[in-house]
Amino acid sequence: MHEFLAQLVNGISLGGIYALIALGYTMVYGIIGLINFAHGDVYTLGSFFALTILTALGVSGELHGVALVVDVAIALIGAALLCGIVGVLIERLAYRRLRNAPRLAPLITAIGVSFILENIMQVWKGPSPVSFPAVVPNPSIAVAGVAIGAQQILLVGLAVVMMVGLQLFIHNTRLGRAMRATAQDRDAAQLMGININKTIMLTFLIGSALAGVAGFVSGVYYQSTWFFNGFGAGLKAFTAAVLGGIGNIGGAMLGGFLIGIIESFATWKFGGQWSNVTVFAILILVLVFRPSGLLGEAVFERA
Amino acid sequence: MRLILATAALAALTACSGNSSGTKTNTTTTTSAVTAAPSPATAGTVVKIGIDLPLSGGDASVGISTEQGALLAIEQMQKSMPRGFTLQGVAVDDAVQGVHNPEQGAANVRSFISDNAVLAVVGPYNSNVARAQIPVTNAASMAQIGPSVVADNLTLGPEAKQLRRTNPNLITFFRVCTTDSRQGSALAQFAQSLGYKRAYIIDDNETYGLDLADRFEKDFTADGGTVLARDHLAKNTQDFKALLLKVAAAKPDVVFFGGVTSTGGGLLRKQMYGVGLGKVAYFGGDGIADLATVAGAQADGSYYTLAAPNAEKLPAAQAFVKAYRARYSSDIGPYSANAYAAAQVAANAVIRAIGKGGGVPSRADVVARVATTKIETPIGSISFDKNGDVTNPVLSLYGFKNGQSYFIRQIQLKL
Repeated sequence: MHEFLAQLVNGISLGGIYALIALGYTMVYGIIGLINFAHGDVYTLGSFFALTILTALGVSGELHGVALVVDVAIALIGAALLCGIVGVLIERLAYRRLRNAPRLAPLITAIGVSFILENIMQVWKGPSPVSFPAVVPNPSIAVAGVAIGAQQILLVGLAVVMMVGLQLFIHNTRLGRAMRATAQDRDAAQLMGININKTIMLTFLIGSALAGVAGFVSGVYYQSTWFFNGFGAGLKAFTAAVLGGIGNIGGAMLGGFLIGIIESFATWKFGGQWSNVTVFAILILVLVFRPSGLLGEAVFERA
Repeated sequence: MRLILATAALAALTACSGNSSGTKTNTTTTTSAVTAAPSPATAGTVVKIGIDLPLSGGDASVGISTEQGALLAIEQMQKSMPRGFTLQGVAVDDAVQGVHNPEQGAANVRSFISDNAVLAVVGPYNSNVARAQIPVTNAASMAQIGPSVVADNLTLGPEAKQLRRTNPNLITFFRVCTTDSRQGSALAQFAQSLGYKRAYIIDDNETYGLDLADRFEKDFTADGGTVLARDHLAKNTQDFKALLLKVAAAKPDVVFFGGVTSTGGGLLRKQMYGVGLGKVAYFGGDGIADLATVAGAQADGSYYTLAAPNAEKLPAAQAFVKAYRARYSSDIGPYSANAYAAAQVAANAVIRAIGKGGGVPSRADVVARVATTKIETPIGSISFDKNGDVTNPVLSLYGFKNGQSYFIRQIQLKL
């Protein structure tokens, strides 16, 4: 029982990261039907930005009190902003011209952008995993004998707050309405006076910023980052988005947590080498019986 | 519509994961041809030694110091070349997307083979790459000398014979290091000598890691220890906490890792701290020699062996250590001296094959000369047995303190 709970807590923490990344996949897919394979690398980029900001602030270890709040906020918001800008640039430079091209063209371009980002990051921070300072102290509370760390609470809390915030934004603001309209019917939305380019840029900005948040959180949680992290994590997060129903915000969240938990339990029960197999086997099963994912696609449409 | 979208997404997923390895191969292969010698005016005939190592990605920290050892040997052997011959080292990278890649390694040696001037190959660094390369070099009768590849079945047993399928009776693959099984045995004995009785074994599911872990498991059990469980890591993962929670529940004295830092060895050690295993000893082979680059001070309490003597401590290697420092203004890496020796063996065989006749020798000539090698190198005198293994294997044992590795002692294995 103790081990079950410990694995559950671990799986939820891991799932929080997947969920944050999955939100970006699902938003972009929802609005332009593109699977943005560079998204996982934007996540890694987020951890690199956060690391650079923390280094610039002179942070090398645990922080306390005001410094903790201020520095973490600067690094978190900075990483999110910079990632958002990178996301917008990627859309502008690589995807916009291909918006009306056959579906495969932007998909292949996305894979190309992914390689470009990976190689830039490899040149930037080197080929080996780099250490990330343990900025956030990690006192733990014991729940039923299982230690839950402050970092884990922060991670899951951030993921949930981000998702709720995103839902509110999409359903209660003019910009959110514009996004929903664009997702439903781009041409009609344009005819109604919605600036499509701006709306799509906004989608990339928010999605990539969320990946930046995930990058910061994973840096704090694992105290290390690596230029190639985004490949594995991105694939899992994409899986999470599909499992929950791609295009569906709540689905991405649910899928992320589910994938994290499944991965943990699979490692526990079947061994580490079977974790990926189990995750993808479950994905296939779900898609066979519920082709549009657990919660169905395109929550944008169902306002 | 929903069905179509979901299947399209799934198809895209599979297409991407399939594609990625293929596409990435082309984008990241940095082929750096290095002319080892500033060629004199009388260049004459150029003969080359190919060097295949992981020079980018997670293995680059050790790959580059290994490459530099080999290039230094080629530079220094230049003056021993017969008149009219210039010796060149051509180094290529077998890492793809940051990880050593067997397919890339095989492609690299094929390109060496297509260049008539290449007479021998030094490398690779990793055993799974060697498995892909040996059939290719064997078919071309090309001598290949491994500085650090330690999997047993590359030279021993029926599997080695299978690798040499084209010329089963011609040994073309040699190595200047010892084998996994000897590392595994040495580590098992060391663990016992520290009083550890309960081991949890994890490996990375690669040729090298599996071999090493198998041997450790066998010897540790034979010496009266208990192996609590054995587990394997998944590829491309950054979270090992689920696995480590399981390890923590088993309460081991020592965690043994068969694998290398870049396939998870580094993160595994780091994350041991997160689940209360920080005080538990961590053992591995030469693959975790660069553990501190990832784990920093959290590497403390880890131990590893190198399938090489400690060149810094060997009297015979002092000249090499000095020359290396002068040439690259950095300290030698764990396999620099081995790579130097491997390149020395290759160059020496080429020189002997050229002989007095003065013509460019065939690759088969060079192989025959490598087999009869008897030379002094920084890591001791080298000669090969009938399988291509060195006749005087030496291991050294290291630990970590304050994020730095320190030498514990040398082990001379009796055969």
